[in-house]
Amino acid sequence: MQTETTPAQADVSELDLVRRCQAGETEAFDQLVTRYRTRVFAMIYNMVHNEQDAWDLAQDSFVKAWKSIGRFRGKSSFYTWIYRIVMNVTIDWLRKRQIKAGGAEFDDAIQLKEIDPASKTVPKADPLPHQRMERKEIRGRIDHAISQLSPEHRAVILMKEIEEMQYHEIAETLGCSIGTVMSRLFYARKKLQNTLRDVYENV
Amino acid sequence: MKTFEEKWTAWLDGQLSGKELAEFEASLPDLAAAQAEKRDAQKLGAFLKDQLGALTLSNEEFFSHQIHDRIARDSADRDRPRSSWWTIPRLVWSGATALALFVITTVVLMSQHPSGEQSEYLTQILNSRVDPAANPNATIYIFESKNENKVTVLWTEGLQTLPADYAAK
Repeated sequence: MQTETTPAQADVSELDLVRRCQAGETEAFDQLVTRYRTRVFAMIYNMVHNEQDAWDLAQDSFVKAWKSIGRFRGKSSFYTWIYRIVMNVTIDWLRKRQIKAGGAEFDDAIQLKEIDPASKTVPKADPLPHQRMERKEIRGRIDHAISQLSPEHRAVILMKEIEEMQYHEIAETLGCSIGTVMSRLFYARKKLQNTLRDVYENV
Repeated sequence: MKTFEEKWTAWLDGQLSGKELAEFEASLPDLAAAQAEKRDAQKLGAFLKDQLGALTLSNEEFFSHQIHDRIARDSADRDRPRSSWWTIPRLVWSGATALALFVITTVVLMSQHPSGEQSEYLTQILNSRVDPAANPNATIYIFESKNENKVTVLWTEGLQTLPADYAAK
């Protein structure tokens, strides 16, 4: 899994940062936030499809992590631990929202901020208007397809395909068995293959 | 025992090997179709990674700053001494005062309550006199039961005549 680190930050061990957080050092927590904020935000965004909601949920997740960091025992990586919090916060929010809306799904009035990973080092021209339109349309199709999945199925497919997490890490994050993770992956993939085949076949 | 879904997922992600892999592939009715579906699923995975994997967070520094602010506010709230009027000692004192007031009021009210008046019949008996000439061996006992019926018992021995005003009413 990738993290947002600079060489100087990488020198500081994650466990050391956690220990300092447990001693009440907010500066150490700032460093952990800097390492994971983008990935946490992206993960939540891909689940909820709304930038403002994703921002708020990511904030809530980090604040919750700070409040409960005293209970982190280092049995798993910090990343898995914080992902567990992120997933709990996001899935709870999705369920509440679905109940409130009587099962209705997300609005897709979103502003995407996608960049090529290489653009950090190699300047690249902006996509042409028709390419931007096309991307937006594709993104809309993907969001719609993902929104048809249950929160748990969304979480599993995104953690596997985007975060490239192992089955046991996903299981630990979601608090379920590896078999359940594999089974959810099976159904989530089948559903997305059926709804998105025409898109990814033609890209 | 793994279910078909679990085996399929493991096979698709390249997690099956050796005997397990051979057994699973042998169990598939159409291996060529399964291989095509595997490629399709892998294509989907690559597509999702490409489309969803490059999302960035705008205003990263503001994001961190906001978290820092929330944590600082939360810590300040926890550190601030709680100055609620209803502190525990005050609650205890208020309770004790209320109880004392109740007890005093009860005692005062009970002391003012008129005690049960002596019945007219008992007064009449007590005021009566036994004539020693007419009843030289008379012995009279009077009891009043203390229960709620307030029964008065007149026990007489050796009475030969009753005074005229002894008639019970």
